[in-house]
Amino acid sequence: MNESKRPPHWRSLRALEAGDAMREETRAEFPEGADQAPTALSRRRFLQLMGASVALAGMSGCRWPRETIVPYAHRAPGQIPGETTSFATAMELGGIAQGVLATSYDGRPIKVDGNPGLNSTGGAAGPMLQASVLELYDPHRSKSVTKAGEQSSWQAFDAFASEHFAALKAKGGEGLSILSESIGSPSMALEREAFLAEFPAARWYSYEALSRENISAGLEVAYGTRLRPRLDLDKCQVIVSLDDDFLSDHPDALSLNRAFARGRRAESGHMNRLYMLEPGFSITGGMADQRLPIKASQVHAFLLDLVDAVSGGAAHGDWAHHPFFEALRRDLLAHRGKAVVTAGPRQSIEVHALVALLNQELGAPGETIHYSEEKLDPSGAASLKRLSAEMSRGRVKTLLMLGGNPAYDAPSDLGFSDKLKTLDSSIHLSLHANETSVRCAWQLPRSHYLESWGDALTWDDTYCTTQPLIEALYEGKTAQELLSMLRGENATGYDIARAALAERFPSADFEKFWRKTLHAGLVEGHRSNLPAPPHLAVGLRHRLAPSAKDEGYELVFAGDPKVHDGRFAGNSWLQELPDPVSKLTWDNTAQMNPATAEKLDVKDGELVKLAVQGQELTLPALILPGLAADTVIVNLGYGRKVAGPVGEDVGFDTYVLRASGHMGFAQELSVSKAGGKHVLAMTQDHWLIDAVGFNERARRVPTLTREGNLAEYEKDPHFATSHEHHPPLISLWDEHVYEGHRWGMAIDLNSCTGCSACSVACQAENNISVVGKEEVARGREMSWIRLDRYFSGDPEDPGMIQQPVACSHCELAPCEGVCPVGATAHSDEGLNDMAYNRCIGTRYCANNCPFKVRRFNWFDYNKEVGETESLVFNPDVTVRGRGVMEKCSYCVQRIEGAKITAKNEGRPLADGDVTPACAQTCPADAIVFGDLNDKESRVWKMHENARSYSLLGELNLKSRTAYMARVKNPNPERVEDSVEHGHHG
Amino acid sequence: MANDRSGSEFQFPKWTNAIRPLATAALLGGAVYTVVLIAYGLSPQTTNVGYAPEQPVPYSHAVHVSELGIECVYCHNTVEVAAQASLPPTQTCMNCHNSVFPEKENLAPVLASYESGLPIEWLRVHDLPDFVFFNHSAHLSAGVSCVSCHGRVDQMDIVAQVEPLSMKWCLDCHRDPDPHLRPRDKVSDLAWTPEGDAREMGATLRAQNDIQPSTSCSICHR
Repeated sequence: MNESKRPPHWRSLRALEAGDAMREETRAEFPEGADQAPTALSRRRFLQLMGASVALAGMSGCRWPRETIVPYAHRAPGQIPGETTSFATAMELGGIAQGVLATSYDGRPIKVDGNPGLNSTGGAAGPMLQASVLELYDPHRSKSVTKAGEQSSWQAFDAFASEHFAALKAKGGEGLSILSESIGSPSMALEREAFLAEFPAARWYSYEALSRENISAGLEVAYGTRLRPRLDLDKCQVIVSLDDDFLSDHPDALSLNRAFARGRRAESGHMNRLYMLEPGFSITGGMADQRLPIKASQVHAFLLDLVDAVSGGAAHGDWAHHPFFEALRRDLLAHRGKAVVTAGPRQSIEVHALVALLNQELGAPGETIHYSEEKLDPSGAASLKRLSAEMSRGRVKTLLMLGGNPAYDAPSDLGFSDKLKTLDSSIHLSLHANETSVRCAWQLPRSHYLESWGDALTWDDTYCTTQPLIEALYEGKTAQELLSMLRGENATGYDIARAALAERFPSADFEKFWRKTLHAGLVEGHRSNLPAPPHLAVGLRHRLAPSAKDEGYELVFAGDPKVHDGRFAGNSWLQELPDPVSKLTWDNTAQMNPATAEKLDVKDGELVKLAVQGQELTLPALILPGLAADTVIVNLGYGRKVAGPVGEDVGFDTYVLRASGHMGFAQELSVSKAGGKHVLAMTQDHWLIDAVGFNERARRVPTLTREGNLAEYEKDPHFATSHEHHPPLISLWDEHVYEGHRWGMAIDLNSCTGCSACSVACQAENNISVVGKEEVARGREMSWIRLDRYFSGDPEDPGMIQQPVACSHCELAPCEGVCPVGATAHSDEGLNDMAYNRCIGTRYCANNCPFKVRRFNWFDYNKEVGETESLVFNPDVTVRGRGVMEKCSYCVQRIEGAKITAKNEGRPLADGDVTPACAQTCPADAIVFGDLNDKESRVWKMHENARSYSLLGELNLKSRTAYMARVKNPNPERVEDSVEHGHHG
Repeated sequence: MANDRSGSEFQFPKWTNAIRPLATAALLGGAVYTVVLIAYGLSPQTTNVGYAPEQPVPYSHAVHVSELGIECVYCHNTVEVAAQASLPPTQTCMNCHNSVFPEKENLAPVLASYESGLPIEWLRVHDLPDFVFFNHSAHLSAGVSCVSCHGRVDQMDIVAQVEPLSMKWCLDCHRDPDPHLRPRDKVSDLAWTPEGDAREMGATLRAQNDIQPSTSCSICHR
């Protein structure tokens, strides 16, 4: 397609190239073959199931089965059966606390959200946090102690441990090593101290596959102490990210999201500017005002030139002549003290030291960046390498592993999994029996955070408590409890957590303080103190190793936005969540840009062979625009071998290519076409909105996503709608007048990053089914919110814009008129209701929905949900059966709940009383919900905002969801690169 | 002419002439019967009203409420704040029965539950389908009495269902709530009757308390 005919926004390379062929696909509601039965459910099995359901229907007789009511024998004070209660707790991921407000229904946690008490995140939660509640009920969790693979018991382990550890103690712990995942918990620190006091010769190691160790190590080079950088984006005018996906892959991503969005409200007259240099295409890259695809190895060279140029010297490298470089340099110099530079964890220690130097030059420390002491142990490859060396020398007799899965995710050159088997005794405490567990003598079940007492520290060192919402489902123990047990103390998690809190915050009335802390889930006002900017090491610039040459293909390792380092591989919500950028589900691939793919002569799904330093792997290619040239990006965390039926053999184990010398990226990659194809279940071209229709109409229809740059916005704040051309919108019918509530939603595309947390939150709140890879490939995914990801501009260096689309609750809803049985009807508050029991599954409504937001239950997906997993269901929402249409309800159960509460309390409903699950969890606060009849409400103000527009507004649907056009803030010097806004004619 | 064919030929006896009208009547009657059978036989009025299963403990509301004067909400104490009007925990029974007839044979399951901590398994009488979301507190705060749906439970020895609890029955009241509204402090007084015209008083209360029962699907089905 030639440049002039290219649409401003396109959803995939296929859509861009296919043109008319794609349009045919758009006409069909479902992709070809969507009405086929999945092969897993054979015809025979299907008939059996149907036969059984007929038989059951016959047996049930005239009255439905007798139900019993089982009241408590002793009800706890304040407990109200059938009502939900919330508890503040915290989940630890990579040693950093994520504050949680968990909702419990009759004693079982059903939903996890962010703790609104943490001001920096305000109730937001990311996809992994949202999905962590499903992990609790995973029936494939480790359920009991096993010894050499045989079921055993805690008693048996205790008998072994008391003898074994007594002998170890006699030797002062000689021969004992502990390998822990990153744990920042204060109670753990105390337990560890006590443990090491009894076993002084024992060695303690930490390892995280996605360690951020290079950052603190780089700062140690620069400043002499291990530091943790804390960005203050509120003060930033210019943000430069060097391969740092800080809006997604960062322990503090939630509050960074919030601060970043705050700094970009076009109405405020203040907009920060984000420069992004990266080899892949990340969520942060999608939000960038200026973006440069760059090989991972060349970030160093670019940075060297930038440091030289900013510090007044002359830059000698090639990058100094790049137009992007010059614009960036000038912008940085113009914003000293208001700019910050940050680099991602896969970049080298040298890069991070240079970043510190550059930030110092820009006057950032104390202004836009703060440093605090990094208290987490070094958890990079180096520490595992030391342990591995000790193991080779036979100095490790007993290895105690607290969490983690090194047999799977250790650098492949260490041969860790083979060495594990040579140990005299190995003990693994783990939530799941994984690749490491099966190689250990003892496997101990670990308790989930929703069943544990404990504590953890957030990124800014706020003390959070962890409290159980449910008694341990299986016989799990926490790491603290295990250490205590091995010391012969056998303290409970409760006592350990209390002791740790008392130690850190001595209080005259401890009981009261403890209760208050538990209630809030945190100790307020006790973030760690930020020391004054320390002195930079002298002559840093010239002490650092030179940058690598730009040669050949490069392999980049990326943490997965869904399964992280592989630990969430068994979580079906996350597996089925489309990747925010590639829209791939249930898989990982070798991502490359179109030019590289052309050179290799591969297409989407065709297998390529990657070889780096003698290690090989064959996996499917995925072609994405906007990636650096000659770069192959692989996500980690797939191809698990021991992960339960959900996670096993999903995708490809890319850890085999990763070695301790190249944990972030590897040069000297050889890549070739391997022949063969692999089916990729991508949702990117599903649910296409037929915005184009006919060629003639195409010129008049404004695009679905609209964006402009700051200059355009300032010239015409109504730029999103001022070019809309359509005949006057007159309704055929007398329109309904809504006198009571008029519910509506507004989505700010300026804040939305596409992180997909809303999608998982919706799944948890509304009992949405998981359908599996094969079904996703057929276009049957059930997610009520889809994130439409569009690219814009040049396929080699495109921009990206994300747009969440769910049912818009059109006042003149096309779906309602075509339903033959009145199963979908309008409520008196303007909601487009679905009465599942009336639906007979004609699917006319889905066919007639211009937004393509209706989902059909092709099969009884919930039939396979086991007894334990079904505990996660929200009892306020119907669990749908086969043959029923479903879609976003604006969380009507929450609307009704809030209305009833207000009525019972004899007060009117206030703005903010009703928050749907998606709006509640949105880290960027991009989704706002409320009553459009309340002229003071936030949602009304957003609807009235100049940037606000209706999706397909020319169809006169009067949709209740409004979108606010995105405004970018590109560097005026580079404005010709900026995106075209969505107006054509 | 008739004689020409007589003799060998079979002739239907005369009474067979009655078959046709009889069959027609039976068919018509059968059709009506089937319709009536389905309409009345399967209606909630027939299948559910009068359902009074035997409970594990022969608890009598008549004795406890009418004779002893215990308020509904003494036991069903979540009804004003929650969707469910929960059955009381065993400990509520034992508040009195610790000292009142603790040795009585009928009370053995209660004592056993109190000591073991295991629940008494009561049988649900008023059983709405699982796709219906009913909220007790909303109805109470609107001024709908217990008696409107549950009948005179205060006079029942064994609790029986008295209303059909069908969708039509729910909608009847949602469309025209006036006759069923009463002052909020009278909702659990099952014997109470308005002094004047119930409809008139209901209309006044409805305006006063801004009660607007909706008939939208999502009010009950989510």
